[in-house]
Amino acid sequence: MYYPYFLAYMISGFVISLIVLIWALRNGQFKDQQRARFLPLEEGLETEPAKVSKIGKIEAYALIVLASLGLFGTAATLIFSLLKGG
Amino acid sequence: MSSPEPEMPKTYKTAKAFCLTSAGWFTMATSAGMIGAGYLIAPDFMANIEWIHFGRIRPIHVNINLFGFVTPGLLAAAFYFLPRLLRTELYSEKLGIVSCVLWNIYVFAGVVGIGLGYTQGREYAELAWPVDILVGISFGLVVFNLLMTVRQRKEPILYVSIWYACAAVLLTATTYCIGNVIWRPDTGALLGIPDAIILWFYGHNVFGLLLTPLGLAVAYYVLPLVSRSPLYSHTLSLIGFWSLLVVYTHIGTHHLLQVPVPTWLKVIAIVDSVAMVIPVMIFLINIWYTVKGKLGVIYADIAGKFIFTGTIMYFFVNIQGSIMSLPQVQRVTHFNNWVVAHAHLGVLGFAGMTALGGLYYILPKITGKPLYSRFLADLQYWFVLIGVVGFTIGLTIAGLIQGNAWINGEALYRVLPEIHIYYVARASTGLLVAIAAYLGLYNVIRTLFFNPGVSR
Ligand code: HEM
Ligand code: HEM
Repeated sequence: MYYPYFLAYMISGFVISLIVLIWALRNGQFKDQQRARFLPLEEGLETEPAKVSKIGKIEAYALIVLASLGLFGTAATLIFSLLKGG
Repeated sequence: MSSPEPEMPKTYKTAKAFCLTSAGWFTMATSAGMIGAGYLIAPDFMANIEWIHFGRIRPIHVNINLFGFVTPGLLAAAFYFLPRLLRTELYSEKLGIVSCVLWNIYVFAGVVGIGLGYTQGREYAELAWPVDILVGISFGLVVFNLLMTVRQRKEPILYVSIWYACAAVLLTATTYCIGNVIWRPDTGALLGIPDAIILWFYGHNVFGLLLTPLGLAVAYYVLPLVSRSPLYSHTLSLIGFWSLLVVYTHIGTHHLLQVPVPTWLKVIAIVDSVAMVIPVMIFLINIWYTVKGKLGVIYADIAGKFIFTGTIMYFFVNIQGSIMSLPQVQRVTHFNNWVVAHAHLGVLGFAGMTALGGLYYILPKITGKPLYSRFLADLQYWFVLIGVVGFTIGLTIAGLIQGNAWINGEALYRVLPEIHIYYVARASTGLLVAIAAYLGLYNVIRTLFFNPGVSR
């Protein structure tokens, strides 16, 4: 019988998460969310922004094309697997 | 409202040490990967060198990548942004250095151990028992240092990156010990099927509860800074964090769909693997909205470029993962190169790229000087990108050929010549990744120690 151990493990993870969540709620971690959005910026904007270049833009478009091809490949594979694997 | 003049941490010694650790082990990991790729092209390649034959070099490669390159790279960024976001100093830089030294000792001992044949033979849990203990201690020290830093914070609100980073190290410290069954030093394993289940609880947690949350923490910190936009929604990011915790913690059994484990566990794993779409899309919508209209700025910044690309890889690896968890699909994709493609897309494409972005973001900040060479970093970006895309395409095709042959009941030996060319393609694109690793190490060492750049 090993199920009880796994169940205990899963439940203990859930309970600990719940305790931390309740702490977070009580501690006001979900308040003032507007300010929270700016926290990294409050801390780190000490340098000039990088200069936008044409090559940078081309690189970004190249990545988007690549990603679209990837999406197409993923869809094709899914269809193939569902037709063949079922 | 807290003061706009933050108290700055002074030395960032720990972040520096983890930067160097990550860049150094990246070269070793890719070198080991090249040797492994060589064996798959020509099985008698280096045939008589026992300590690096395929059965040893493969786990060496994987362990160095996970624990030597990616995790320390992401931790370096965490050791930088935690004190900044909390407006305090790191609890102890000395402790940080000790944990980093121990970290390197365990990776080194693990690698030498596997080379000498000391392995527990369970994937992602190969390291011998004494090394497991060192891993536990190293993670424990990192957890203590980060949590104590949170405790002494001057900023009451915990930004989402803090949640992710702390959860990652805390959960891994626990699941590592459980998954490696450290209470049984002789075998490091349970018996039979329960062992497979506990191993994959842990194994999947390495990606889901270590690399993913650390990677997301870095992306949530760096991308708003690079694009100079506030996070689209902090509330949404917290919902993403909690849903990730609920969903990701117990989907390990999707690695065992074709193994006689209890059906209810498989059902939980499959349902939650599909439900992973929720935290994944929450993160992506949030971060992509944050940088919306700023792609030019992102691409002008080397860190932004790496990390933004990491988010795209994250999208793919997760969509792919959810699909792979469906039993119908896994009948084609299991036990073949498809999974290896997925692994490189996730661990290198998402987590590795994000770690490199994190390093390039913090290096100028912690040294106070610009990066030694932006050109080398750009070159590294393209080499790694071409490498990951090449791996993914080549190995996915090879995997589909294998899967199709499996379903049709073809004999294995007839398939091997068909996929040989893809192994050659993998080694060729892999060479680019290996060169990228060495370029990166050179750039990091020059930036840290011999940087002629003007101080800021
Ligand atoms: C929605 C999230 C994800 C799901 C549902 C998922 C699902 C899967 C499944 C089902 C497998 C087993 C495939 C098989 O053996 O047939 C697998 C393997 C793997 N996944 Fe994912 N994945 C996800 C995200 C990730 C991420 C983000 C990473 C990396 C950071 C990753 C890294 C890996 C690795 C390295 C393996 C290979 C494990 C092995 O050695 O067998 N996965 N994934
Ligand atoms: C020089 C570049 C690389 C080469 C040539 C290479 C090659 C290989 C080879 C040959 C394997 C064994 C596959 C098999 O058993 O069929 C492997 C596995 C793996 N590699 Fe790489 N690799 C490279 C870079 C990387 C990097 C940088 C990472 C992570 C950041 C990585 C992560 C992994 C993982 C997680 C696995 C286990 C996959 C699984 O079990 O499904 N590799 N790699």
